[in-house]
Amino acid sequence: MQFHLYQIVITIVSAYMIFQGIRNYLKGKTGQTITKILIRIVVWGGMATVATFPKITNVLASVIGLEGNINAVIMAGFLLIFLIIFKLLSAIERLERDISILTRKDTLENLDKNN
Amino acid sequence: MKNPEDKKIFIVIPALNEEKVIQETLDEIKNAGYSNIIVVDDGSSDQTYAKAKEVENVTSLRHKINRGKGAAVKTGIEAAKLLEAEIIVTMDGDGQHDPRDIQKLVEPIIQDKKDVVLGTRLQNPKGMPFYKRLHNYIANGITWYLFGLWVTDSQSGFRAYSRRAADLINTQHDRYEYDSEVIREIYIYKLKYGEVPIKVRYTEYSMNKENKQNLFNGIKTLYRMLWKIIN
Repeated sequence: MQFHLYQIVITIVSAYMIFQGIRNYLKGKTGQTITKILIRIVVWGGMATVATFPKITNVLASVIGLEGNINAVIMAGFLLIFLIIFKLLSAIERLERDISILTRKDTLENLDKNN
Repeated sequence: MKNPEDKKIFIVIPALNEEKVIQETLDEIKNAGYSNIIVVDDGSSDQTYAKAKEVENVTSLRHKINRGKGAAVKTGIEAAKLLEAEIIVTMDGDGQHDPRDIQKLVEPIIQDKKDVVLGTRLQNPKGMPFYKRLHNYIANGITWYLFGLWVTDSQSGFRAYSRRAADLINTQHDRYEYDSEVIREIYIYKLKYGEVPIKVRYTEYSMNKENKQNLFNGIKTLYRMLWKIIN
């Protein structure tokens, strides 16, 4: 089995990213959740798998129902990115709402002091 | 039994960077006979809060950071509720709204005929720039399509609420989409609402404000309304 340079680079980078994520999680760094580590493993692990075993994309193509394996990879990638963006926007929305609630609470405490 | 005319009316004014006009606006409201006034400075970068505080018998509140017009109005309404308001009127802080119209807005609530009264610019659009009229028609159409209620001015900030309506309406939007969200709440809770023509004074100051509602902001508002629905 012959490896190209890009396959080696992608695999090394992916392994490093997954390693970093797991290390941060185990160290209990702030903001590291099990969901985040799972997303990291799926994204970087998926890239490494496709780079190392390109033929696996044929399986993906037949599962999705597309003829071209590259099209299937691109489509799956878009879907994943869309889901991540959706999750990010939802999280930002939730944070915005929480900030407004906190700001309001703080402001109304001053009302109590004034009266 | 309390005379309906003696109902405790609170005027809520959200303000962002209005240092040039806020005192004049507040004095005008006081001169019109209203003494319960709450100003919510929405994290202004100028002296709006300090200027409002200088005006006697006005409750001045401040958001430490900017949260948007909707958030500021909601804070003001919550404050009015804590101060036992029976009728709450919201109006802009840039002096566009004429305090003499407040009586027209609160009258149907005092008489217990309405829960919410919306001031509408489009029943008397004299002096209103064409692009603003167009913007309003589009906003009204979108509000009707998304929230199910047709009103002639879905973006007007000059409104009056009964205490019951203020207790029921629970908005989540922080920015300009708040105005349309109130329409949805009226529809959901089947509140009795009416529209009253109001006069709007388009001054050079109000037309040149940086944070005014324009086409770009309108598109952002629409995006946020749609996002809230799918999210």
